[in-house]
Order: sequence, then structure tokens, then C-alpha cells
Amino acid sequence: MRDKIKIFLFILSLILLSLAFGQVKRPEELTFPPLKFEPPDPRQFRLNLAQGMRAYFQEDHSLPLLNLQALIHFGDLYVPKEKSGLGSLMAQTLIKGGTKTRTGSQIEDRLDFLGASLNFSVGERVSTLSLSILSKDLDEGLDLFFDVLMNPEFREESLKIAKGRMIEQLRTANDAPSAVLAREFERLLYGDHPLTYQPTKAIIEGLSREDLKNYHRKYFFPRNIILVAAGDFNKKNFVNKINRYISKWPNQTPSFPTISQNFPEVEPGVYFIQKKINQGYVSIGHLGIEDTNPDYFAVQVMNFILGGGSFTSRITSKVRSDEGLAYNTGSRFTYRWGFPGTFSGYVQTKSSTVGYAISLILKEFERIREELVSDAEMETAINYYLESFSEFFSSPITTMRNFAMLELQGKPMDYYKTYRDKIRSVTKEKVLEVAKKYIRPEKMVIMIVGDWEPCNQGDPKFPGPLSKLGKVHQITLRDPLTGEPMK
Amino acid sequence: MRKSTLAVLSILFIVSWPLLATELKLEVMEHQLANGLKILMLPRSGVPRVVCHIYYKVGSVNERPGITGIAHVLEHMMFKGTRIMGVTDFEADHALNQKIDELMNKIYREKYWKKNGDMAKVAEWEKEVEKLLKEEKKYIIKDHLWETYMKHGGTGLNASTSDEVTGYYVTLPSNKIELQMLLEADRMVNAYFREFYSEKDVVMEERRLSENSPGYLFNEQVRATFFVGSPYHWNVIGWMEDLKKMTKEDLIDFHNKYYVPNNAVAVYVGDFDPKTVIQLAEKYFGPIPRGNDIEPIRTSVPPQDCEKRIIGEGPAPSQIAIWFHIPPEGEPDTFPLSVLASILTGDTGRLYKSLVQEKDLATMVSAFCRPQWYAGSFVVSARPKIEKGIKPDDLENHLWAELEKVKKEGVTAEELQKAKNRYEASFIMSLQSPMTLASRLGRAELNRGWRSLLTDLEAIKKVTNEEVKAVASKYFVRSNSLTAIYRRSLAR
Repeated sequence: MRDKIKIFLFILSLILLSLAFGQVKRPEELTFPPLKFEPPDPRQFRLNLAQGMRAYFQEDHSLPLLNLQALIHFGDLYVPKEKSGLGSLMAQTLIKGGTKTRTGSQIEDRLDFLGASLNFSVGERVSTLSLSILSKDLDEGLDLFFDVLMNPEFREESLKIAKGRMIEQLRTANDAPSAVLAREFERLLYGDHPLTYQPTKAIIEGLSREDLKNYHRKYFFPRNIILVAAGDFNKKNFVNKINRYISKWPNQTPSFPTISQNFPEVEPGVYFIQKKINQGYVSIGHLGIEDTNPDYFAVQVMNFILGGGSFTSRITSKVRSDEGLAYNTGSRFTYRWGFPGTFSGYVQTKSSTVGYAISLILKEFERIREELVSDAEMETAINYYLESFSEFFSSPITTMRNFAMLELQGKPMDYYKTYRDKIRSVTKEKVLEVAKKYIRPEKMVIMIVGDWEPCNQGDPKFPGPLSKLGKVHQITLRDPLTGEPMK
Repeated sequence: MRKSTLAVLSILFIVSWPLLATELKLEVMEHQLANGLKILMLPRSGVPRVVCHIYYKVGSVNERPGITGIAHVLEHMMFKGTRIMGVTDFEADHALNQKIDELMNKIYREKYWKKNGDMAKVAEWEKEVEKLLKEEKKYIIKDHLWETYMKHGGTGLNASTSDEVTGYYVTLPSNKIELQMLLEADRMVNAYFREFYSEKDVVMEERRLSENSPGYLFNEQVRATFFVGSPYHWNVIGWMEDLKKMTKEDLIDFHNKYYVPNNAVAVYVGDFDPKTVIQLAEKYFGPIPRGNDIEPIRTSVPPQDCEKRIIGEGPAPSQIAIWFHIPPEGEPDTFPLSVLASILTGDTGRLYKSLVQEKDLATMVSAFCRPQWYAGSFVVSARPKIEKGIKPDDLENHLWAELEKVKKEGVTAEELQKAKNRYEASFIMSLQSPMTLASRLGRAELNRGWRSLLTDLEAIKKVTNEEVKAVASKYFVRSNSLTAIYRRSLAR
């Protein structure tokens, strides 16, 4: 009975409250209660473990599980050309190749039995070993995690299977037009450089267990790793347990190869790659900037307006929404640690409208370099970054990883604390300035993967030939198995 | 006044976790409006944001030949505005749209109804349309809904259409849930399909993107060959010719039928007060009239009673896949089948150990069990090691041998336990992401109720070796199978 009364009172309060709400018809009439959010402070989570290993840990008891990651300062970039592919091979064999005391199958079978997952990936300069496991299995999970991290054996059988897979992947490397475009666009802009090295079948076959062990020895040591973890553990006990594994793990002297910062002067114009498909896949751009550039925040706002803010951006609005020319279109600045990223406008459109779509994107490049953006565009862009800011901290493990990445890359640890002020300080004038500075029509290369005849012919809105857009270079793809030009 | 439906059902669900000292709590609150709209709420602390999703029980299974792809086209068109969104002067824009539609109808009749239509007339009308479209531009506020969400910090902003469900997603700061209520309620009833013809072009470009993805066209044919007599026959994107000929009238009919509150569920996961959400839902969704009851789709997959084979080639990795018909989700046989797929697949699974590790014949293998709402499929597949001269056809007997082994000997106790542990752990892990959680709750609610997520987990835990053997014998037979062989070729 008491429950019924409670329900009745609750319903009554709902009705009264709904009467109190005025009828709002349009979103601009809405007012919202204030919301204050302060980002977490990295110092609260920062720990020094044994042997100089650094860590960011956060307890989170909402679910009976935990996530643990080792971020290792190692990646494809530190591998010479004649060993390219070593990163992929290590990614596939660090776990499967077993350890001194366990075979790969034993490790994987046990983790699978526990419903856990352990993955290893190798990036450009950062590699990650990550474990997700139920907290009841924490001790066993840590045993396996540190065994794999510290004592991999890279047994021959795992190498054989991984190499087989890599060679099958090479065979299909020229199949997907999007993959061809991404790879060749970077190859053109960065030239023959560690950022663009591709393995061949001969290189893959030549990679050895000894190579993997050497690179592991050279880069996997406590001072070269940051651990991040979040989940259902007691921080103090957790640290003690981890220290037991690593307290005798010797450090090495870090040595990273010097990597060239020289990139080729690329002749602007059209670079065409023939593929018999019914669309052209297009990238238009040049090298960009690093995200440590003081202009980074202004560039983000500028690109949001130009083509990065999905439907609110000019390129998407024009090319997709107005003209119906494409499903995917826009512009992007990519970023990489220690090297300039790329800037590009992109579109995939049916062959006959390739030229027209490109012309529309180029016009938007010109426009943002010539006129101040509108107040409304600024408001949308800046509010987006401010109002979505808390998304950086959407889960404890993401937060820990974000902090660790700042430290690993030597970025200021108050990056998130000052983030919103830096966004707020971007002005229309600054947007114009960075558009002029970082979008350079005189350097623009237009790369197209598509079917030459219909692309070159165009349509009534932009009749060909494509040479109207610049000197045309036909690119012959290489056979990914041999690295030699395709016949 | 709405009556007892205003009552709030707050249900605390405790998933027991026998291996754990503590219990796992999944607290989902339900509220149903008088018009039938269901609200699911899962408050959780964390950053001050809320995942706000709305799901409609409509997808490509609700289509028929001739209008395939329409559920997805409609999803696109839902971003084109309403009477208040996307337009500065509704009446003026509406008048222009009527003229455009009239001309487009004439053009379609000439082009698609007649064998030898008058193309000169078509060209003339097309010019007129172009003029009207130009005129209309001055009334259109481009992508107004999207922009409104974004400037209020909307992330995860998207929509998707599957075979059975269409969803609209946004994650907002906690103080802005009202914005989502206003916009979603508005477009549920007042969607206005301006810019229809250019958006259809966008969808056709989307289809072309798929066509250029290696292997897509073959897989589309495999699906069409496998599912006969059922709307799973076609992909969500639809056939190109149907997209071309689709009219605005088709779209309006489809929208009116399925976009009604009694065919939808709104899901909120994040940092919010459920009382406020209920008040806002009553205020914004409450006044929408209930729609007609919707008849469940009429469908069945008739027994195949013959072996099917389909062979293709093109620029994708060589592969063999064997498909079997299985019952729809929730049927008792689907649980042992799910367990079996888990035992066969992955790098610790039987197929990998046999075909990749021991025999060195394949580079990739997989098995998956996919019971859908109205039909299901179980697929085992493998990619041959070309380097050793192996062809996809060579793997067929090896795949069958593994299936026969299960029929005869079943699986080991350890394999069975492993599959159950994996299912359970991955369920718990999926609770970490509010977006995944919202999606699972919303989709499950529209078919068998969100509690089916929990009852399915319990059903999996009860699966026995005998059941695994029995389903293997029942479904893994040639007359229930389709073998798809794809050979890599660069001729295309």
C-alpha cells in the first residue's frame, strides 16, 4: 500500500512538473542548466614503478574487470628498410611465439579459457600490449602479461604462420582502391622514407627469430615503457604485484636512429593510378604540420569549418549535400609524432564527376584562404570543441592512456587543463592566417585512383580533360610482392 | 490525461556471477508513454555526458522487391529537416517542393514507365527542376539538425540501418538531453523530405563505394542465393535499380507506417537523473499520437532440400565459405550453435589448430553463428595458403571433416567451459562502453525485450555436449548448405 502511495505521489509530481515546463518549439529557445567540468589532473594518477618504469593507474570498481596496457616506445620507424615488416611480424608473434616457459598456444588457450583478451600492436613509434581481464583472474593475467612482455621466444612455428599471412596480405595489397590511395599519397609526399617503407616477399622471408629478439632486447626495457591501467584493483597491491615482476628487469641505454626530416619537393599536378572501377578515389593536398605547432588549435578550428566538421563543414555541405556527388568527402589534417602529418581534401565519386568534385574542393580551399569565416561558423566550431571536451575522459582507461601519451611524446602535462582556453582564443583573423599559411594551392598534388577514360572525359559541369587541373602523371603501381613496377 | 502508463517501473536486475565474490548489477529503468514509446534508462556516474539513442523497429526486412534500400534512404532523409528545422520559410519551400515533385514524377514516368519515353521532354523538365532547386536554396538551412547537435557538443553523432533496426545516435553533455528530445520528437512526426533527389545520388555513391570494395558483389550474390523467400535476400543498401526508381511517395508511405512511437524505443545511458528524463520524454514524445499497430513481417525461409554452390572470381582473397540455415534468435537450438561457433573459431579454435597450425593449408579461418530476428545462418570459412599452391576448393573436405568430427564426438568439457566463459566475460566487457550498451539494450528491446540479453546468457551457460552434438547433426548437412567458392583473379 505504501508503495502505491509513493507511486501516486511520484506521478503527481511528474504531472505538476510537466505543467511547469513551458512549451518550447525550437532548439534556439531552449536554455540549459549550467554544467561545470574540470579535467582530471594527470599528477593524481602518475606513479613511479621499479626500475624507472612509469605508470598511470586509476581504480574503477564499477565492473569486475580491468584493463592494463604497456606503451612501449618502439615502432616501425625504428626498423631499417631492409627489415621493413619486422613490426608487423613482431605484432603477430610476440604472443603466439610463446615465452621461455610457455608456448604461444598455452598462453592463448588459457587467456581464452578465462574470457580474457591479450593483444599486441606495433605503431609508427609506439607499440601497445593490452590486456582485458576479469578482476578475479588478475594474478594469472599479470603472470601472462609480464611473461609475454619480458620473455618472448618468437618460436619458429609462429613465424612461419605469420609470414604466410603477411605474404597473402601482400598479394592483395593493390586490391582495395582506398588502401592504394592512402599508401601512394603518402609515398608521393614523404618519398622513400621510413614513414613509407613497404616490405616485399623477399624481405619478409628474410626476417628471423634473431631479428625479433634483437629488437625486443633493444627497445623493451622498464625505462622505455609506460604502463596504464584502470579497473577493479587496489592500487597499492597492484603496484606491489607489478614491481615483483619488473624489479630485476634490466634497463638498456636507449638508442633511437636519427630519422631524416627531409622530404621531396613534389611537382604539383594530377597523379593518376589506373583501376577499372566505377568511381574515382581522390586525395588533394600536401604535407601538413605537427600537433606541437603553436598554430595547432587554430588549424583544428579552421579545418572543422573547411571539411573536418562533417555535415557542418563547407566541403561536405557543398560536395555531398548540395550536389549529391559523394558519400564521403571533406578535409583532414593528420598528425604524427615528430614529423609533419598531411593535409588533404578527399572525395570518392562516380568517374564522370571526379573532375567536377575536385574543382569544388579546390574552390573551398581558395575561399577559406581569401575570406574571413562567418561568426556562425566560428561559434559552431568553437562550441563543438568546448562542449565535447569531456569526451577525452570518456573512460578511465582512455584517460590514463591520454596522459601517458602526453608524457611519452614530451608534450606539456597541462595540455588538457589549457585546452579549452586555447580553443577559445582562436579568432576569425587567426583562422584566415593559418588557412593562408598551411593550405598551399601552389604545392597541391591531386591523386586519383580510378578508371582513366571516364574520369578524364568528365561531365557537362566539368568536361575533361583532367590536365585542366594540372600536369598529369600516370603512376604505375608496384607489385607488392617484389616491389618492382607492375607489368 | 494519461493513466496508469505513467507509472514508473524501476527494475533492478542483478546478474549473478558465480565465479565472483561480488555481484554484478545492471540497473535498467523502464518507462512507457501512453502512445507506446518505451524509454530505457541506465544511469551511471562518470563524465557528465549522456548517450542518447532512439531505435525504430524497421529495417530492410520491412521492404519488398522494388523498394529495396528504402529503410536506409529514409535514414538519410531524416537529416533533411522538418517544418521547423532546415528551413527558413516552410510554406514557400513546401510550394517549391510540390512543383519539383510533380516534375520529377513526370520525368520518372517518362524514363521508367515507358520503353521509349520522350527524352526531349525529360531534358526540358530537368532544366525546370534545376531552376526550382536553385530557387529553393534560399530557404534551406543546410544540415541544420546536425549543426545544432554539434554546436552543443554532440559526439558519436550518426545513424545506421540494419536488416531489422534503424537507429539515431548522439552523445550530449548531461545538461542537454532536452535538445535530443526536442529534435527527435520533432523528426519522428514532422520529417520533411527536401533535397530527396540529390540525397538519393549520395546513397547511390555509397552503394558504388561498396561495389568497389573487393569481394562485395560476390558476397551480395551469396546472400541472395542463400536467403530465398525472405527479405534477407537483399542487402540493406538495396539494388541500384530500385534506388534509381524510388519515389518520394514511397518514402512518405514508409515513414508514416514505421516512424510511430509504438514502434520505437529511446535509450539513455550516462550521467543523468531518470526523473528529469521521464519528465522530458512525457513533454516532447508524449503528445505524439500512437500509430496504427504494425503487423509482423510475413516471412519464412522455406526448407532448402538441396545443396547449393556458388562460384565467383575477382580482386579479393581466395576463400571458401560453407553456409547453413539455422533458426532465428531466441530459439533453443541457437544456444548450442553459438557455443559451437566459439569452439571452432579464433586462434585457439579447432579450425585454426587443424587447418592453419597442423596441416598448414590455410592462412585464415573463421566460424560464426548469426541468428537474426526471422532467420539465421552459421558459416565456416577459410582462406587457402596460395603460396603452397592450395586452392579454395581444396579446403572444402577439411572443413567438413571438422564438422563431422563434432557430429560424431562432440566437444570436450574444457572447450565447452571455455566457450561459456568467453561469452560471459565478453558480456561483462561490453558493459564498459555506454554506446555499446545503449545499442544492445535498444535492439534487444525491439525484438524479445532487453531482458533477453540476460536470459540468453543464462541459456548459454546451460548448454551441454549432447546438445552441441545434436545441433551439429541437425544443421550441418549438405541439403541445408550453400558452398561459396571465390577465386582471386585480377581480370576485372
